[in-house]
Amino acid sequence: MSLAIETIDLVKTYKHRGGASNTVVDNLNLQVESGEIFGFLGPNGAGKTTTIKMLLGIIGQTSGVANVLGREAGDIEIHKRISYLPEKPYYYEYMSGLELVIFYASLFGIRDNDRCKELLRRVNLANDMNRPLSTYSKGMQQRVGLAQSLINNPELLFLDEPTGGLDPIAHIEIRDLILQFREEGKTVFISSHELSDVERICDRVAIINKGQLVAQGRLTDLLAGGRVEVTAEGVSDAVSDSLRHENRIVSFKDGRLILDAPDSDDLNGMIDALRNGGAQVVSVIPRRKRLEDLFIEAVAEDDTAKGRQRGRMTDGNSDGTKSAEVEEVKTGEGDPS
Amino acid sequence: MNAVLSIARTTLGEAIRRRVLLVILLIALLLLVIAPGMNGLTARQSQTVLLSLILGVLQLSSAVIAIVLTVYMIPNEVERRTIYTILSKPVLRWQFLLGKYLGAVSALGLMIMLMTGTMIAVFAAFQGPNVETLASLARVAMMYFVQMCLLAAVAIFFSTFVQPVVNFFLSGGVYLVGTVFGSLFATIAESQQLPQLVRLAAQLVMLIVPNFGQYNVQNSVINSGAQIVGEGIYYTNLAVYGIVYISILLLGAMLIFDRREV
Amino acid sequence: MKWTRQGKLVKAPIYGLMLVLLLVGSFVQMNQTYPFWRKNYMPKVTDLGQLTGEQLLFAFAGFREMIAGILWVRADSFFDNGDYDSILPIIRLVTYLDPKQIDVYATGMWHIAYNFTDQENRADRRNIPIAVAFGEEGARNNDYTYELFYETGWLWYHRIQDNFPMAVTWFEQAAERKDILPARHNLLSHAKLRAGDYKGALKTWYELLEAAEKEMERNKSQRSNYAQRDTVEGNLDNLLIRLTQRGYFARENGWYDQGNYDTKPPFDVRFSASVTVTESRVMLVEGTWNVFPVGTRVRMILRDADYPNAKAAGLDWEGGDANNFTAPAGLTYVQDELFVRNRRFRKAIDLSRDPTIYPFVKDKYILEFYYTPRVAPEHIKDKFGYNGEGMTDSNFLNTEIREGQRVIYWKTEVTRDQILRRGEYGMEGTIPVFKTPNYVAPRVRNPEDDLVSPGTRRVEG
Ligand SMILES: Nc1ncnc2c1ncn2[C@@H]1O[C@H](COP(=O)(O)OP(=O)(O)O)[C@@H](O)[C@H]1O
Ligand SMILES: [Mg+2]
Repeated sequence: MSLAIETIDLVKTYKHRGGASNTVVDNLNLQVESGEIFGFLGPNGAGKTTTIKMLLGIIGQTSGVANVLGREAGDIEIHKRISYLPEKPYYYEYMSGLELVIFYASLFGIRDNDRCKELLRRVNLANDMNRPLSTYSKGMQQRVGLAQSLINNPELLFLDEPTGGLDPIAHIEIRDLILQFREEGKTVFISSHELSDVERICDRVAIINKGQLVAQGRLTDLLAGGRVEVTAEGVSDAVSDSLRHENRIVSFKDGRLILDAPDSDDLNGMIDALRNGGAQVVSVIPRRKRLEDLFIEAVAEDDTAKGRQRGRMTDGNSDGTKSAEVEEVKTGEGDPS
Repeated sequence: MNAVLSIARTTLGEAIRRRVLLVILLIALLLLVIAPGMNGLTARQSQTVLLSLILGVLQLSSAVIAIVLTVYMIPNEVERRTIYTILSKPVLRWQFLLGKYLGAVSALGLMIMLMTGTMIAVFAAFQGPNVETLASLARVAMMYFVQMCLLAAVAIFFSTFVQPVVNFFLSGGVYLVGTVFGSLFATIAESQQLPQLVRLAAQLVMLIVPNFGQYNVQNSVINSGAQIVGEGIYYTNLAVYGIVYISILLLGAMLIFDRREV
Repeated sequence: MKWTRQGKLVKAPIYGLMLVLLLVGSFVQMNQTYPFWRKNYMPKVTDLGQLTGEQLLFAFAGFREMIAGILWVRADSFFDNGDYDSILPIIRLVTYLDPKQIDVYATGMWHIAYNFTDQENRADRRNIPIAVAFGEEGARNNDYTYELFYETGWLWYHRIQDNFPMAVTWFEQAAERKDILPARHNLLSHAKLRAGDYKGALKTWYELLEAAEKEMERNKSQRSNYAQRDTVEGNLDNLLIRLTQRGYFARENGWYDQGNYDTKPPFDVRFSASVTVTESRVMLVEGTWNVFPVGTRVRMILRDADYPNAKAAGLDWEGGDANNFTAPAGLTYVQDELFVRNRRFRKAIDLSRDPTIYPFVKDKYILEFYYTPRVAPEHIKDKFGYNGEGMTDSNFLNTEIREGQRVIYWKTEVTRDQILRRGEYGMEGTIPVFKTPNYVAPRVRNPEDDLVSPGTRRVEG
């Protein structure tokens, strides 16, 4: 398969007044294959949007190479074959959905109102296309954004945080649309800091933190190696302490111990230790590795000094002092799959 | 070119919906309130004052609208991120800039037209319809329009590298200097008493800063009667001068904008 | 030439293009638009220092005319209150801001020339050159209309009464403007006559008559056309009769000496005068004038010996500074007209109440007496002629100070101490008196007893 996007040692450094500089994208090497849905993951401020802007040629790179569809990023010819949905876009609010799509179509020299209507129908805005955008909900605005991004039947779509700030139903709508794009053979490059959607639709992901690539690969490969969760009652402190180990998570909830360990660990040994300590094993749940774990691992590896980070990566800064609360979130969430 | 026109049209549409019509209405009301207050003057004076007032208000409000409209044009696009959507389409930056400029200029043209219409109506209501004066009012308004196009080009040029608030004062300043130097800088440049260096500096300013003052031809209309030979050619020359300067400014703006991080 | 590379503009050719455009723009500006604008539209701002910062700002931002209009409205209330001093700066400002304000120029000229008087209603004539300069400026700035040419001419004709050729020049310029009203042409002819050019006056009347008749033909329903024709015709008739009676045609034809014309023989006016400085800055002017009919005014001038642009019996009234409306400080110029009754004139002149108009700071002064029949009433001109042909004086006839005229003129020098009664003139009994050698004090009597005879057509010989 040919590469839709390739970056080689891509660097973006912002110079500030007074000589200080800030490297936002640091030697990034990405390979996105044609026809795949590629998840570009990282906490806020990781450099995702900056990378996309470089790939679009909206900003220039400090060094390195960025190729899109076999040409240098920013090539105007490429722009005819790609499209971009910015994060949290606002549109000209006085326009109706239809007018907006017609406007963007005209930038390609496309004068085909039927096609514009068709696109709006496709994103379920058939009934609302003549209302001004100012009356649209966030989800509708995002859908109209998708409609405009399809106007040139692009080979490659850049979606920057496409589900950001949307309610769960809107999430699902957008997700379904993206899956349809893959059916049509389009390459989709999605950036996100929200893992739950991406996990289900992406073929491959790259994880960046602080501008550096921390993991990249097929989701199935990256997720190889699951975990097991053991729940037990009546566990003494001595026993629970003995179970603590690298790569294991030991926590308590409602007086029960929850032990989260890699499935490569000795499960029997752990159960034996519990039993011998007089504890009652309530459940043993084997679990496939989740993207979230991968994400946390990747980011945490990069950031060990600051302690492990849990849950949604809504904050770029991990904060070790709040570990108790973080643990609670983790247990409360349960296993979605 | 398709893209340029589309962007221009969108910009115009947006400007129109920004309640500038309300401003025009307010100005008209203001004039209607002030105009009857001039009864104490002789006929010639009241015509002079009314015309002067009308044209003064027209000029000042056009200048303010021209600056405000253009100063925020590009920063707004960046802030709303609409510029990214547009630039990710097969649209070059200079096309975007040109489209924006043309949009602003057509919005200005429309507004000046409406304001002039309103003022002509006010004038006709108070002074009776005098076709000749009304026609020259329209002519002065035309020159204001070219002047405002030039001003918009100045503002859009600055907007490629300074913040809107700074730009507001900068463009306003250039407008002021450009308006004044017709009289002031010329006086300095030609004065025999001043040192050579000062005179040279004044000449340099005259050469670089667009001469807005030349577009102020209201004098001849407000006090009608003076026979000016060759006004048609003058207006043509003014238009040429305007287009030349606008081109310079837009080219500069395009160069800067082309390399700017947005 | 490549303008773009990979979607980016290439700098060099664009810089080049910009430079070329800048040159084109400068060329258009310097050679075409700017000179034209300067000539036709530029507000003439002679002295920017006269405006305050914000006025300047507004003025240049295009609000000139509006500000000017509003200021002028304000000036109205000052006129109502008689606050003349406040009006002058406004007039100056308004005309700086909007040099097309004809009314303001006209009002300003009139105001400066006529409204500034001392306590005894003598004009402060130091202002007149300012009014003239202002009129010149206004006419220059509004040269498309006759109005300010006419107004400036009027100043020379009526207020200055000393240089009628100037009035003629201005009226002629007014007459060249298409918008001049027909009746306004008449003054040109009157001015020519006073300038001594009776032939020119006649020619003008004939031309005006022709024009008036044409105009009457053209528009029969217009009443004023008839009136104008009648006026011109009447004036022409009168002038022909007068010229005949006063012997001008005869002189032209060489038989003046033979005929019995009104101006023959020259009549001796027997001028004498005495000025007594009764108190500091107060003087009694007395004298004789042997003309019985009323209507004679003898001009008296007391001025700085070195008054700028002074000439015999007056000033060169040009050369004022219209940018500064205040009369030149420290200069003294008194001019008064002495009215003759019963062949005498007698007037007390008190200058002590106007120390700013008559500062008397210089050491030396000139005192002058002057008479020309040019501005005299017709019944006196009947005898004296336009140029004083029928007038003489055994002592003070002067044919030099006014070219082509026979005038009466006497001049003497006066010092500051004499006028202020200081120094050696400060003591009791040292009353300064300046008099012509022929002056004889009248018998003491009550001037009320004088019999004033009504004017007669003939001057007693
Ligand atoms: N124009 C800029 N100048 C300086 N720093 C910037 C600029 N744009 C973005 N950054 C910085 O780059 C980092 C990455 O930003 P961004 O790419 O928007 O992150 P993400 O999209 O992953 O949330 C942030 O720390 C941001 O502050
Ligand atoms: Mg982002």
